[in-house]
Amino acid sequence: MLLLQHQQTHIYIAPEIFFYYKFKLIIIMPSSLHFDRFNPITHAATTVAIANGVNCPKQPQAPPSSTAARRLVVPSLSSGRGIAAPDTVALHHAHVVDPNQCCSIVTQHINAPVSAVWAVVRRFDNPQGYKNFVRSCHVITGDGIRVGAVREVRVVSGLPAETSTERLEILDDERHVISFSMVGGDHRLRNYQSVTTLHANGNGTLVIESYVVDVPQGNTKEETCVFVDTIVRCNLQSLAQIAENRTNNCEHTAQHC
Amino acid sequence: MAGICCGVVGEGDTPAPLEPTTRPSRRRSLDILPLKYIADMAVPPSDGSRKRPKLDLRDRDNVVQNCDESTGHKVVKKEAKVEIHDNISETKNVTVADASEVEDSPKFGVTSVCGRRRDMEDSVSVRPSFTQGFHYFGVFDGHGCSHVATMCKERLHEIVNEEIDSARENLEWKLTMENGFARMDDEVNRRSQSNQTFTCRCELQTPHCDAVGSTAVVAIVTPDKLVVSNCGDSRAVLCRKGVAIPLSSDHKPDRPDELLRVQSKGGRVIYWDGPRVLGVLAMSRAIGDNYLKPYVISEPEVTVTERTEEDECLILASDGLWDVVSNETACGVVRMCLKAQKPPSPPGSPGSDVAADGSDRACSDASILLTKLALARHSSDNVSVVVVDLRRDQRQSSNSN
Repeated sequence: MLLLQHQQTHIYIAPEIFFYYKFKLIIIMPSSLHFDRFNPITHAATTVAIANGVNCPKQPQAPPSSTAARRLVVPSLSSGRGIAAPDTVALHHAHVVDPNQCCSIVTQHINAPVSAVWAVVRRFDNPQGYKNFVRSCHVITGDGIRVGAVREVRVVSGLPAETSTERLEILDDERHVISFSMVGGDHRLRNYQSVTTLHANGNGTLVIESYVVDVPQGNTKEETCVFVDTIVRCNLQSLAQIAENRTNNCEHTAQHC
Repeated sequence: MAGICCGVVGEGDTPAPLEPTTRPSRRRSLDILPLKYIADMAVPPSDGSRKRPKLDLRDRDNVVQNCDESTGHKVVKKEAKVEIHDNISETKNVTVADASEVEDSPKFGVTSVCGRRRDMEDSVSVRPSFTQGFHYFGVFDGHGCSHVATMCKERLHEIVNEEIDSARENLEWKLTMENGFARMDDEVNRRSQSNQTFTCRCELQTPHCDAVGSTAVVAIVTPDKLVVSNCGDSRAVLCRKGVAIPLSSDHKPDRPDELLRVQSKGGRVIYWDGPRVLGVLAMSRAIGDNYLKPYVISEPEVTVTERTEEDECLILASDGLWDVVSNETACGVVRMCLKAQKPPSPPGSPGSDVAADGSDRACSDASILLTKLALARHSSDNVSVVVVDLRRDQRQSSNSN
């Protein structure tokens, strides 16, 4: 796990610069509520070494002081998958994690082009298009689907949740990045924020979804990650089936033409 | 119907009003439905240890049990109408294979209501004489959507019938029912992989439904045996000489043997608004739910019980009932309704209580009363109840006519 410490308290419009312990300069743009818009980086970032390890970061042994209260965490990809997009992972999947929070990352390979997968993922107004546990969804604020839009999601029966109110944080059609946060609802996932990125992988697509969330009272970080990972993994597997079926249908149609 | 229900409730040799339980509640609007209830038997103290109430999904206090002495006639009447409609719609699905078999079919009553949930995802299947001399009753409580429970209602009895036919020579009930449930689960998962349409929201949204499932509690009544197969947290209870005998055991994730089985498969049970497999599903066995395999399996627990002269009734119901009504209370209610029943009239005579499809007024009254009791105790789920009259003297009496 790669832990980066904040060196400055001020946040500039320009990308922030953090010092790696070997004084190597790394430019990282964390997904943060402080930024109203996504600022693309004009220069390629230096390669970041991402250590393999468990999905859930372990709590540091030292008691958190004021300077160590928040830390920047880049969740590690499982072994063998880190090669695909290390720069983008560090760029988009770096989360600011509080001591009472946990974060994790889930990946899914899909045998369909990025354009086909993105057409499904980017529908902030229609998450039930691929998310199994969404019964219905209504966008309640925001003219059109853009950053700041808020949707009210109703969850299917049998789950420990009823509704979820979610805000669109990032929607980048060029780099295929979508991010949302949970700002309310009847569930136990407080301060949940997720980022989903798509990456070309041969003829297919590698989907990476990471999230950060408060650990509910009475549960451990590991339990919280097991619960959320199960939901996210189920959604990504459904996304794979849908995108692959659509691609197959398009190919059949093309052959008939 | 409403009047008869009130009359039945009013009658009783030794009325013992159920003690109201006052418990602090944080519900914003406490919707109290007054319901007068008199039981013939007291609830044994061991009920507390056996009863495991289902936790409210919203982390609120447990449901308030409140039974006032007064009866709201207007409310009761309104409820009766709704329930009668549901009862009729359910019994219409019953198909009697042979008219001459009606006399030998046990009398039953069915009620299935949406209750306080937004969607109806329960299904009930009643197949008198679905195969030679055997009668089939099933309750299916769906979750995630309704189509798995609907498929079970439409197909499971056919699959079981095929399994019984293929094992006719030496019928081993446990193996037969396990094969039937496994084939039903395969059919559900095979269908979720295809693009076939369902008459539910899945057709409109997404055809990939790995995250939909259902409980299944099935009772097969033969002339000398009761065969109960259970998968999930619905339940079957036999009332024998006033004693409630559970014929199934709920598959809750924190049941010690279920907990060990899930863990041995590499899964885990996380307490998230109650014990749940991976923190997601509140039961450890179900038909469907492919995304949680191999932790959540579809293998039923099968019990075979010899019928006796003391058998009074069999109750199958979803957890919408059992979460708020104990086995003993349910048996007491049904016993009271059966006792109040008049001797059966000769077939074909005017005013006969026996309906053409084999359902019976006393059993229907019992199922309706149990459903109303569950709603009065603020069950927060769909409620489905099947009551089967197992008394032998009824049949002897009808045979003598």
